[in-house]
Amino acid sequence: MTEAAITAGAFTQERRRARRRAAWRRRRLVLLLMSPWLVGFCLFFGYPLVMSVYLSFTHYDLLSSPKWIGWANYHYLFTQDPQVGPAVRNTLWLILIMVPLQVLFAFGVAMMVARARRGVGFFRTIFYLPALAPPVAATMAFVYLLNPATGPVNVILGHLGINGPLWFQSPQWSKPSLTLLSIWGVGNLMIIFLAAILDAPQQLYESAELDGAGPFQRMRWVTLPTISPVILFSVVISVIAAMQYFTQAYVAANIASGQASQAGDQTVNNLGYPEGSTLFYPVLLYQHGFRFFNMGYASALSVLLLIVAFTVTVLIIRNSRRWVHYAGAVK
Amino acid sequence: MRRGVIAAVALVAILAAVAGGTARSAAHAGTKADTITIWVGWSARELKAFKSIIAEYDKNHPDVNVKVVGGINDDKITAAIRSGNVPDVVSSFTSANVGSYCKSGAWVDLKPFLSKDHLDVNVFPKTSQYYTQYNGKRCALPLLADVYGLYYNKKMFAAAGIKSPPKTMSQLTADAKKLTKRGKGGSLKVVGYNPFLGFYAGNAPDLSAYAPLYGAKYTDAGGHSSLSKDPAWSRLLRWQKSLVDWYGYKNLQKFDAGAADEFSASHAFEIGKLGMMIDGEWRVAFIQAEHPELSYATAPAPVDDAKPSLYGAGYVNGTIIGIPKGVKHKDQAWALLKYLTFNAHPLALFSNAIRNVPTTKQSLTSKEIKPDAHFKTFLTIFKNPNSKTTPITAAGNAYGTLIQAFAVKWQAGHAGDLHAGLQKLDKQIDAQLKQAQAGGVP
Amino acid sequence: MSTASVPVAAGTLVRRKPPWAVRRKRILVAVADHSLLIVVAIMFLAPFIFIVLTSLMTNEQALSSHLWPSPFRWGNYIDVFREAPIWRWAINTFIYSVLATLGVLCSSIPVAYALSRIRWRGRDLAFATVLIALMLPPVVSVVPLYVMWAKLHLVGNLGPLIIPNWFGDAFSIFLLRQFFLTIPEEYLDAARVDGCGELRILGTVVLRLAKPAIAAVALFSFLYTFNDFFLPLLYLRENPSHWVLQIGLSEFRSLHQVQWNLTMAATLLVMMPVIILFFLAQKAFVEGVTLTGVKG
Repeated sequence: MTEAAITAGAFTQERRRARRRAAWRRRRLVLLLMSPWLVGFCLFFGYPLVMSVYLSFTHYDLLSSPKWIGWANYHYLFTQDPQVGPAVRNTLWLILIMVPLQVLFAFGVAMMVARARRGVGFFRTIFYLPALAPPVAATMAFVYLLNPATGPVNVILGHLGINGPLWFQSPQWSKPSLTLLSIWGVGNLMIIFLAAILDAPQQLYESAELDGAGPFQRMRWVTLPTISPVILFSVVISVIAAMQYFTQAYVAANIASGQASQAGDQTVNNLGYPEGSTLFYPVLLYQHGFRFFNMGYASALSVLLLIVAFTVTVLIIRNSRRWVHYAGAVK
Repeated sequence: MRRGVIAAVALVAILAAVAGGTARSAAHAGTKADTITIWVGWSARELKAFKSIIAEYDKNHPDVNVKVVGGINDDKITAAIRSGNVPDVVSSFTSANVGSYCKSGAWVDLKPFLSKDHLDVNVFPKTSQYYTQYNGKRCALPLLADVYGLYYNKKMFAAAGIKSPPKTMSQLTADAKKLTKRGKGGSLKVVGYNPFLGFYAGNAPDLSAYAPLYGAKYTDAGGHSSLSKDPAWSRLLRWQKSLVDWYGYKNLQKFDAGAADEFSASHAFEIGKLGMMIDGEWRVAFIQAEHPELSYATAPAPVDDAKPSLYGAGYVNGTIIGIPKGVKHKDQAWALLKYLTFNAHPLALFSNAIRNVPTTKQSLTSKEIKPDAHFKTFLTIFKNPNSKTTPITAAGNAYGTLIQAFAVKWQAGHAGDLHAGLQKLDKQIDAQLKQAQAGGVP
Repeated sequence: MSTASVPVAAGTLVRRKPPWAVRRKRILVAVADHSLLIVVAIMFLAPFIFIVLTSLMTNEQALSSHLWPSPFRWGNYIDVFREAPIWRWAINTFIYSVLATLGVLCSSIPVAYALSRIRWRGRDLAFATVLIALMLPPVVSVVPLYVMWAKLHLVGNLGPLIIPNWFGDAFSIFLLRQFFLTIPEEYLDAARVDGCGELRILGTVVLRLAKPAIAAVALFSFLYTFNDFFLPLLYLRENPSHWVLQIGLSEFRSLHQVQWNLTMAATLLVMMPVIILFFLAQKAFVEGVTLTGVKG
């Protein structure tokens, strides 16, 4: 009995030790596999986050060490800086006008391509191609195409007897011009929509048709609900992208302002051209952080953006429960 | 497992490559201490001219090897200094920024060097002394200056029956109207004088080239911004707007968009699409190189009708050159700086090549300066006591950015009441300056 | 598609021709459908066509209202290379893209595996960090990171652009994890029974089965870095010898005082590599983009 108990005890002990060893080996494996992310998250995410908050309470120009100035940056940001208001409004314009247009357009084109009986692949390629064009190249091309004097668009409009607008040169048309550019590059969204539409169960359409639903009703009651998760996805992605809209605005302002002047250059400040109409929030952040090198103030701007971006994303996702239908257990 | 190893090896290799890169350049700097780098804003033809000046220096100084990088602007200079990747000598076209360079210490104080070599900055003209310091702290020296005057197309003047260049703004307006040719739908084929802000350097949107022509004062006796208090500013802006409206804002905007790049051979004045323009003296060399057949002449720019005595004055602005903070070869950098700015010989040679105004009193009258009737006008404007540059402030030319924002809105007709707008602008400029002086937020 | 699925019971109805009015309406709708599609397609292609045409014009033509080049100036494409160090920019871009893509793959695949196919305490928390990193705009962290790289004296070369990619990319991890989850457990169990360790399984079974997802991640990462402008602008601006294509292109006009014809030629050259890549790997592209949408 006792002998048996002892052997049994030793056995369980051994087994426990083996299990512990296996668990340890497993933990080590997980740690090894996860290590890039653990380091990366701390170094390129956690650290900058903490540092941003700290720097936002300092004056720091990278030449001398940071000087603690309390809430002064935030005070200037919220009460004095004449550029913050327009920058926020410009960015809101992107979120409220450009993003919906992008999503609508991508959806519309996807619907059209899906309805086409022939050449789905061909059309898909054509609509996707512009999305591949590097943003810098696409923007430069559009500034040329929409040149008010010699650009092909206004030349063609002129032949039709229309006096074309000033596009990138006028504060009323600069954002619509950027919107045209973004619609041209909407191919990624379009492909996602197209795949979702083609993926929708065919029998749903058939039964809807048998019930006497017209094409519009079919879209309203079949297509939209089945692809609603995809719509949510593209809205979230587009809104996040709109809050970071920089490259196109920077390049367009730079090229359109035409101030390629090297000698006697007095006006380096082309950001936001014309009349500050393309000064979006990230452009403002760039201006303070990497043109004026007010690292403290730029950090205050980043912290604000961080809070807003987080809130907006959470709001959209929260709200979406009301209108997004998850068909299966896709999660 | 193998993949993990590969990843680790590749990562180490990259880190090693990156670290090795920096280590190598440091080692390089240690053993061959005689290579120094100078950054300049010039490009293309002008850069070539500058390189030939440097080549001569190189030949006479076998102990150093100077590397020239062109096409630099103030953004790049600032970025380099903040990130610690500095050249040994930097130069900038934007003298108005000297205030922020001196105040922040981004460009080092040159006083110790000057006193060690017993050099006196009074060899430079007063204006050039002014735009190379801030509050008595000298962190830059002048390397040639830019002076603005009037260029006019003689052939077009003759065809329109205009005898002499305009001396006042109302004469300029009248002549401009005579020289202008319109196409169908009001589009502009030839523009007599283009006042559109942002159109070439003479129309810098911060109004810098026009201010001296109106004798407009940036600050009052108390050092406060005085754009709303000095009526000259309103007269300037009203004149500018009335001429813009005569052409039609949209027409001018389209003309601007369709015009060729300012520093290309298809420059609108050089190909006969502009009757007159206000531009810097460098244009003389550009025309010589690109369109020697152009029949043109130069004169001082026309001035405010209310102040005819100002005629002969113009806007002055200079290329400034200094040593950035954190530089490795201070002494070699200083030797080059001294040679380029104090020595009449390189100044004269460089001036001949790119037709910029030389910046020591001695070099202004140097025998080596090649005479040129077009260029002579600018030497005279430079010496005029009423010729002015923009104020040097602790905020650099940030006030210029604010003026620009207002003036551009004004010419588009989006600024509303002029006086109220200028008052608001004064307040913004004062607030900004206060912040900058306190070393606080922007 | 719909004719095939018409119920057999309605056979007689199918045989009978619909009335002319209905047929005409159908044809018109089909034509309308396609013609709208064709018009929109032409509008999407037009920018490319104008870029090509302008790149073959002379200076003067590009600044005139002529849309068709005469004569065609093919020499522009030689001049572009003479005007700007395009090859150097291309090499820098290539170094950036390839090393960054390699880094993303090497670092993200193991993380995605650990987050999907191995059970451990804290896994959900770790996955949450990926989601958080995914949702927040990277613009917010650029200031402190710039300060960090400046302190390390790495600003002005490609290091700050490449190194972060070797520490996992949230988007890639997310995408790979979602794909790994769809691999049936039986395949892995079979391998485990054969005595394979987790790393062996990852290296053989999973990698083989997840090829489409890995290809997509590699493509996206390559595209992203090739097109990237913001980070190179911050870190390489003052050092022209390390410029990538996007920076070079954006400075092309002001730096070389050239006209639109050469600028458009350069623009087209910068677009070309991606477009060629697309036609070589069209399937992987479309599958990849679809993957992001469906799995989202």
